[in-house]
Amino acid sequence: MANILLREKDIPGIGQYDTYVQHGGYDGLKKALGMKPDEVIQVVKDSNLRGRGGAGFPTGMKWSFVPKTEGPKYITVNADESEPGTFKDRQILEYNFQQLLEGSLICAYAVQASAVYIYARGEFWDIGPHMEAEIEKARKAGWVGQNIGGSGWGCEVYVHLGAGAYICGEESALLNSIEGKLGQPRVRPPFPAVAGLYARPTVINNVETLANVPQIIVQGAAWFKSIGTEKSPGPKIFCMSGHIEKPGNYEFPLGLTFRQLIEAAGGVRGGKKLKAILPSGASGPLLPATDKVLDTALTYEDVAALGSVLGSASVIILDESTDMVWATLKMARFFKHESCGKCTPCREGTYWLLKRLEAIYAKKATPADVQLIEDVAKQMQGKSLCALGDFATSPVMSALKYWRDEFLAYTQPQKPAPAKAGKDKVVAGGD
Amino acid sequence: MNILRGLLTTVKHLPQEKVTIQYPERERPTRERFKGRHHLKRYDNGLEKCIGCSLCAAACPADAIWVEAAENTDEQRFSPGERYAKTYEINMLRCIFCGYCEDACPTEAIVLEHDHQLSFTNRRDAIYTKTMLIDPPAEGMEGTPRQVEPGVYTRSIPEMQNPK
Amino acid sequence: MTDTVRLIIDGVVHQVPKGANLVDAAKMVGNDIPVFCYHPKLAPVGMCRMCLVELGQAGIDKDTGAFQLDDKGQPAIRWQPRLATACTTVVTDGMAIKTTTPQVTEARDDIVEFLLTSHPLDCPVCDKGGECPLQNLTMRHGPGESRFLYEEKQHLAKHYPLGDLIYLDRERCIQCARCTRFQEELVGDAVLAFHERGRRLQIVTTSNPPFDTYFSGNTTDICPVGALTTADFRFGARPWELTGVPSICPHCPVGCNVSASTRLDRESGGKIVVKRIMPRQNESVNEIWICDKGRFGHHHSRHGERLTQPLIRQGGKLVPATWDQALALIAEKISAADGDVGAIAGGMVSNEDLWELRQVVENAHGGKDHKSLGVYPYRLSGAEWVAKVGLSKGSNFGQMGKGTTIVVIASDLSEEAPIWYLRVKNAADRGAHLITLNARPTELDRFAKSKLKISYGGEIAALKSLTEKPEVKDAANVVIFVGGEGLDRAGHATLMQGAASVLTSTGHAGKVNNGLIGVWAGANTQGAFDLGYSSEATESLLNKRPAVLILADADIVAEDAANVSLLAHREGKFTVVSEMFLTATAAQADVVLPRQSFVERDGTVTSGERRVQRFYTAQTPLDGPRPDWKVFAEINRLRTGSKPKLSAAAVMKEITEKIAAYKGLTYAELGKVNKQFPDVGGDDPYYGGTAYENKGGLGVQWPTEADQGKVPSVSMPAVGKARKLESGELLIVPIVELFDRKPAFAASAPLLHSHVPAPYVVLNSGDAKTLNLVDGDKAILSSGGVEGEYTVRVDAAVPAQTALVARNLNLKSPTPAVPMVGSIRKVEVVASHV
Repeated sequence: MANILLREKDIPGIGQYDTYVQHGGYDGLKKALGMKPDEVIQVVKDSNLRGRGGAGFPTGMKWSFVPKTEGPKYITVNADESEPGTFKDRQILEYNFQQLLEGSLICAYAVQASAVYIYARGEFWDIGPHMEAEIEKARKAGWVGQNIGGSGWGCEVYVHLGAGAYICGEESALLNSIEGKLGQPRVRPPFPAVAGLYARPTVINNVETLANVPQIIVQGAAWFKSIGTEKSPGPKIFCMSGHIEKPGNYEFPLGLTFRQLIEAAGGVRGGKKLKAILPSGASGPLLPATDKVLDTALTYEDVAALGSVLGSASVIILDESTDMVWATLKMARFFKHESCGKCTPCREGTYWLLKRLEAIYAKKATPADVQLIEDVAKQMQGKSLCALGDFATSPVMSALKYWRDEFLAYTQPQKPAPAKAGKDKVVAGGD
Repeated sequence: MNILRGLLTTVKHLPQEKVTIQYPERERPTRERFKGRHHLKRYDNGLEKCIGCSLCAAACPADAIWVEAAENTDEQRFSPGERYAKTYEINMLRCIFCGYCEDACPTEAIVLEHDHQLSFTNRRDAIYTKTMLIDPPAEGMEGTPRQVEPGVYTRSIPEMQNPK
Repeated sequence: MTDTVRLIIDGVVHQVPKGANLVDAAKMVGNDIPVFCYHPKLAPVGMCRMCLVELGQAGIDKDTGAFQLDDKGQPAIRWQPRLATACTTVVTDGMAIKTTTPQVTEARDDIVEFLLTSHPLDCPVCDKGGECPLQNLTMRHGPGESRFLYEEKQHLAKHYPLGDLIYLDRERCIQCARCTRFQEELVGDAVLAFHERGRRLQIVTTSNPPFDTYFSGNTTDICPVGALTTADFRFGARPWELTGVPSICPHCPVGCNVSASTRLDRESGGKIVVKRIMPRQNESVNEIWICDKGRFGHHHSRHGERLTQPLIRQGGKLVPATWDQALALIAEKISAADGDVGAIAGGMVSNEDLWELRQVVENAHGGKDHKSLGVYPYRLSGAEWVAKVGLSKGSNFGQMGKGTTIVVIASDLSEEAPIWYLRVKNAADRGAHLITLNARPTELDRFAKSKLKISYGGEIAALKSLTEKPEVKDAANVVIFVGGEGLDRAGHATLMQGAASVLTSTGHAGKVNNGLIGVWAGANTQGAFDLGYSSEATESLLNKRPAVLILADADIVAEDAANVSLLAHREGKFTVVSEMFLTATAAQADVVLPRQSFVERDGTVTSGERRVQRFYTAQTPLDGPRPDWKVFAEINRLRTGSKPKLSAAAVMKEITEKIAAYKGLTYAELGKVNKQFPDVGGDDPYYGGTAYENKGGLGVQWPTEADQGKVPSVSMPAVGKARKLESGELLIVPIVELFDRKPAFAASAPLLHSHVPAPYVVLNSGDAKTLNLVDGDKAILSSGGVEGEYTVRVDAAVPAQTALVARNLNLKSPTPAVPMVGSIRKVEVVASHV
């Protein structure tokens, strides 16, 4: 089957405006402009396209939340792809940018937005000029700016580079970042659809989600639904990394199994035994490599049934040589580094988890500390302002669920006695 | 007959050592946990333990303690951390030697020691000032205030430790 | 019952105001939801997660409005799966919360434990210890024992200066953002911000000079931990040792309610002294805020240079004397003056003092004579318009918003009355239509919907145009602030009339949240007007000085170039000065009487909003100075044998009997306190913690004529002739700078000395060019025969041919009191050759 999202694999240079147009580019937008905005939303709704950023929220539904009031509305493209093991959006931005641009313009038309903000992570600084050059080409062709395609509707497109914060992938922190504020999540309600960017109605979609849209408009909702499963239709890019023979992006319809996916990527590296899978980067719970897991279909609902999430489908493969304590520590360090610090449980909890995990890994802890990190992680759950606080606990909780023995093996029954400062030798002073 | 029995008791006690002593020529050693006059302690390096937190004054049931605090600088350092006792006074006429101040002290700065020979001829003399209460620095150690290296004595409670 | 909704807390149905914040609503019905980041004066952010509750919604029958019941007969409630933050929730009808379930209790315990993991636990040395929300909540929710290892705690700076007034302890900070939000939302100066992220998140100041605002001290009050402390009070005392004595700030006409935290002090000989000044909640006056001038400006009360005994001029020199000698001499001189006696009272003379001073003058005259009772400074007048259509009784800036138009004319409120600035700014944020009419840009312009630039002298014409403006004509409420910048006394009186005319002609008089406010210069200038003193009298007294002139708190020599030689000792004239310090005026007097400061005595003052408020004795008075009312009463006794009153309360009682407006305003009435919302003074786990509690009374606003139904018809005064300036002439316009060098303030706040600018003059860039002056040059300004050296500031926004000079910065060579023509010349710096 031809790739729908990673089209550059079939058609080299599709990211260039000219090539893109030669291969049916902007047919979707043209068609959409001939429809009423509500009809466009209805098609997307019918297609049952679900957000590819991680949460899997139905895209058409999201668009329909935008009130039909006067005044500016905005589309924000979330290209702050910072999840460890996720690198699908970058490929679209680099090699199939026009398709994303068309998708976001269709979205903008559907909600009658006046501007599209593409928020790319700071590390994409080298893709920025490429995107801007392509936007200019589209503008010359009349797809960006005033009176697009003679419809009377106009839309601007801006590229905004972040400053390198994971939290800015969270939609409200992303909006703050565009506004020039500190990248910290906002309190909801109000939801972005009501008061988002600059307190105006805003739709925020992932790059991959919007890249699906042109083909849905061109080929129709029924065509899209024929791909993948009923509840999770459409193609999906799977980012394969970790101990795998051929890491990279793979496009498949949703619904294939972990086993098929790993085979497609050449199997576990060096023929070793598979130990664990992180189906959704660092923020989803770890899964052990049981047959049940391997035969699970990769859909939003099936992975959720396993107690994990499909998320952005950034599958990290861990083989038998992996030290799970080390892996958990690494993820805890990541979350401690990326916590924005706005809310208490996440700011303090990630720091605490890291400190204790470091102690366990350094073999300076007792079994009580293993219990402690589980308690701290539980204590964080469900209390933080945004999802990051919960994400930070999932590697810890799942690792403890399946590989608690490995943690206990690092501990010593009795706490090593700290170098005891003799009472007589205590000297007043600092630390 | 009963008289004889009574006399016998007296006679029995005659050869025993006398309970009474000739105070003040002779003094009975005080018990280890006797609560006498307060001393303000120093760390071994000579800095004052008292940080002027006034918790002793708050704990004092007789309202006998008066503390006023001020800020340390590295040029003029009395105690570790930011705060020290500029004024520290105990009115010994009010004090009931209950030791609550000792319990309340977060730095173990105030200790009720063994002096109990406190007498005054004037009410004002009963107010012991900081200079009277504080122990001298250990042999060879510099007293306070003193100039110290910046950034060394940053914590008021340097011995704060993990729960055991 | 449309304005209340049903809220079910732990199964009990309460009626709470519609649209209220859930935390506030719960507090109103007696349920304290603990908070750290939430503050009732700030928008909620849901950061600390302390206020987590179980949240649900009861089903409501659409037809009857009654709750749908479950099988147990209780309202059927759909509970949300996750805990919700109460502070970010607005109550709706049928909302239900659970606050006592194990899930909620555990969540609160967990959050406190998290906060404590990075808290230094140095409560013994912390200035907040004892009035600290974190401490209070730890007592309730904290773990008995820490699971966090002490050596894993972060060690950060403990003494980081955010400017020279406020210190930040980075370890204690719990990142609640109350301080940054206060600056950003309420003050409008975002000079504090977060820096970094995660556990490294910290408060930094983004302005230069650092923490550049007049309101910095308030951040230490709202800080829920001891992270922010004032340089003034650091380690001054433990909060539980302090006694809060209600007082009124003496520095400006707002009349902020403050609380003087007092305790015994060894250095002051074991006397009771004021350790700090804290705001005292009065939602109609200052809410819970005060400016830095009020907070730090109290040290004059025990300054070493205070006058402590009367001085009498003998052989050209002032020599110490006893009270008896001084008062006998004054009584004798008054008797000898044959009625030629006058008095001028300054800005911080209490109503009781003013009344007794008036008795002195009237007794000398043998009857009423208001022409001899002057107000200082005398450049502001027109108080009769305030008596007619002043801000109506019951008005509150805290309730103004959409529909209200606030006009500020000829005044820079941020310098003249900072809390009015704050409250007007916040009313504008809530939707009030703010119009500023000034000849130069002011801070308040940033929040104004319309900024009308006027020329000095063009005020009346601008007012006239206001009458036609729909925002004024059709507004539900109109409040007008009239300042005196660029005006002389007559000009100000006319402007006050003009403003009164705008109010009456558009039907905005005699209604709540409508009326006129004169931006007076002193804390009790309004009281002086009320008690029969006037600016006109001052003008005539200064023009033709009486044989005996009594000056109370009126430094006429240092504050007005015109009066420099007025008092120079002359035969047959006798000057009595009542002052705290040996001011330039006192130095020229025949008798100097030492005054008491506001914290050493009790009395009442009347704010610019006509609110009569009490202040109480806070500090052990210095030996020597006496309250003015007592002194003046004694002079009367010596002269007439009248029986002096025994207390300030008795004097006030007489005032209430003799002055119609003050009828019924006895001390008991003024000392009453009603319950206020938000309820911030306690030590509850809600936003209590700091000593805001008002125990001294809310004061009473006296009603204007319009309030009593007598709305006068006021004609708009004719537009006067604009002052014509010859080419090359400069109009010297004195302006107000909050931090100045008046002796009482200079002695007040040593900390603020570095914030007082060097004497400066602001020139238009065109004028500066003509005069060959650039920014930073030194120049000599001469006006009214007085010369002074000033630093030049060049500002394109200043009107041409105008030189703005801040008052009271250079007391050696005072600026003119009212605008006048003057000249300026450059000081040539002789280059030194090395």
